[in-house]
Amino acid sequence: MFEFRRPLRRWIFFATAVLLAAPAHAADVKTLLKEADAFRLSGESVRVDTEVRVLKSGTLDKTRLYAVYVKPGRRSLVVFRSPSERGQKLLMLGDDFWLVLPSSQRPLRITPLQKLLGDASTGDVANLTWAEDYDGRVEGEATIDGVACLKLDILGQRKGVTYPRIVLYLAKSDRSPVHAELYVASEKLAKEAVFKFGTIDGRKLVTAMVLRDHLQRERVTEVHYLSRRPKTLPDHYYNPAFLVRADIEH
Amino acid sequence: MRLAKFVARLACAASPLLPIPNAAAESEAIDLAWKTRWVGEAHSLRHDSAFADGLPLTAFGRDRARLEQEARGRVGPVSLLATGTVSGQEGSRPSRKLLVNEAYIDSGSGENRISAGKKILSGDVGYGFRPIDVIQRETRLRVLPPALEGVPNLSLERFTAETAYSIVIANPGHGREGDPRDDGALALRYYRRAGGTDLHGVARFSDRFRVETGGALSAVPHESLELHASFLLLRRGERRVPLAEPASPSDLLTPDRAVETQTLRSAEKALAGFTWTVQNGWSVLGEAWWDGTAPTAADWHRLASQAKQRTALLGAPGVPNTAVPGSIAASTRLFQQPGVSRRNLLGRIAWTDPAGSGWTASLDAVRTLEDGGWVATAAAGWQGNRWRLDAGLRRYGGRPDSAYRLFPERGIAFLGASLAF
Repeated sequence: MFEFRRPLRRWIFFATAVLLAAPAHAADVKTLLKEADAFRLSGESVRVDTEVRVLKSGTLDKTRLYAVYVKPGRRSLVVFRSPSERGQKLLMLGDDFWLVLPSSQRPLRITPLQKLLGDASTGDVANLTWAEDYDGRVEGEATIDGVACLKLDILGQRKGVTYPRIVLYLAKSDRSPVHAELYVASEKLAKEAVFKFGTIDGRKLVTAMVLRDHLQRERVTEVHYLSRRPKTLPDHYYNPAFLVRADIEH
Repeated sequence: MRLAKFVARLACAASPLLPIPNAAAESEAIDLAWKTRWVGEAHSLRHDSAFADGLPLTAFGRDRARLEQEARGRVGPVSLLATGTVSGQEGSRPSRKLLVNEAYIDSGSGENRISAGKKILSGDVGYGFRPIDVIQRETRLRVLPPALEGVPNLSLERFTAETAYSIVIANPGHGREGDPRDDGALALRYYRRAGGTDLHGVARFSDRFRVETGGALSAVPHESLELHASFLLLRRGERRVPLAEPASPSDLLTPDRAVETQTLRSAEKALAGFTWTVQNGWSVLGEAWWDGTAPTAADWHRLASQAKQRTALLGAPGVPNTAVPGSIAASTRLFQQPGVSRRNLLGRIAWTDPAGSGWTASLDAVRTLEDGGWVATAAAGWQGNRWRLDAGLRRYGGRPDSAYRLFPERGIAFLGASLAF
């Protein structure tokens, strides 16, 4: 009897530990991602003015300007501000996407894959959080450019994410994002991201994300966050039919 | 200019009553983007066409180049799109045209909004054909088209997070005009986002068509796949047809009777299509549509037959020299309408460089199922920081009496270059 009970007790203890540890571990990753997100977004509802610089072999190839309105509930509205893209708008509501082109002035439903095409992947501009879209596990620790980091392997939980898998390195000291390896659906490493920081209103925030393209090695995309301002657009501004109105212009 | 003055006055009058919302429009007083575009075209005429004797009197094959200047943006509360175009046609002096394509004020607060002025009011979900685009009535599948011209309108709109309703008074003060697009009309538009599906509804009331009602949907059931469909029912329709048979020589030589407008007791338009996108930048679009207001295969056969009958009258006693080319030229008006066939299929393969180089390419073909005609277009484009370049070829063909084979041009080569400031 005693011989039987001891392994059983051990098994119950082990199973309970695993059951409790799994959600706790998942929760840890979510918490880590939320902490990392706080370095990219200064608030829940914000307007982020963004400049994208595309460099080829170190030479500036293209510059693009965007105003991105982010709202909780995975809502992003991107207003294209560069002269060559003037009048374009992209709306992201969860996994659904719409595009307005100035030539037609009607909201055009597009697939998540269509969203990825274009000059600069608008996904890189519009997605400013990880916690709502990703989950995964802590893989271990690593040192990146002299910074002690936690290594996270996170997977997209929704079909609309730009990168289905990200290996993310967060500083152990404050959970700020340091480095990311961005994988596309074919499981190829598409880009590597390095985050630059500045102090804005006394807060450490990401001021730029530098994306080194692994598919086109000579190509580097710099995403500069020019300003972040609290801005809560009413819900109806995120209605696709509202996109053609001039109320959303700049 | 009168319109611009009207809009400016409207802005002044409306501003105190309808505060310009400042939620997203945090702009300076004047904020305009400028674009210059040059378009060159080389047309290849069918000199063996049944319409050959009338072509010198038409615009077919004569467009050579145009230079467009476009200003887009805001002047105070007025949203503006203005274009200036210098066009060159073979055998004539360059023509100049200044156009205010859009000049309107969007105003209101909260969920209730108002829009007044001249504005592009496109609608519908299709690529090659748009049954419920009943206000803007945009001509589709043009090569390097100029900017659309808006419709003078007053719109009252209500938006929630998932629905939108609007009442549009289009072309106020107009009655029945030469083009249905310019007719005075009242339209109701409805939009609803139902889960992952977009639903659109429209009803338009006009003297010409009485009631047009329709609906459309668009959905993305898979990350690669978009599906769309659209339909329109017309209480009364119109279609252009060649002169009715039997036709006397006198009838045949009367230009005004070469193409007649037939009133339909009712008509339908419908479209279904899909877009399949894959990760390497390729996409495939397929559409099938029915246009109950387009000419039939018998209409095109009759048009070709009448062109031959007119040609046979050349040099006949009592027939003035100019009468035959004039009536043949007038009969080519049948080509100048949005749809040339009732049953159509469109296939389009497009590529966008996923690496973001700015290169795009496409190949599309429309097949008219009733008469066996086709038009195919191959195009390539490149978008740089400020420059955009486009080039392509279009070719018409098919069975001898099909609309596209009868089309007086064999094909077009086109080239465009634009610079944005």
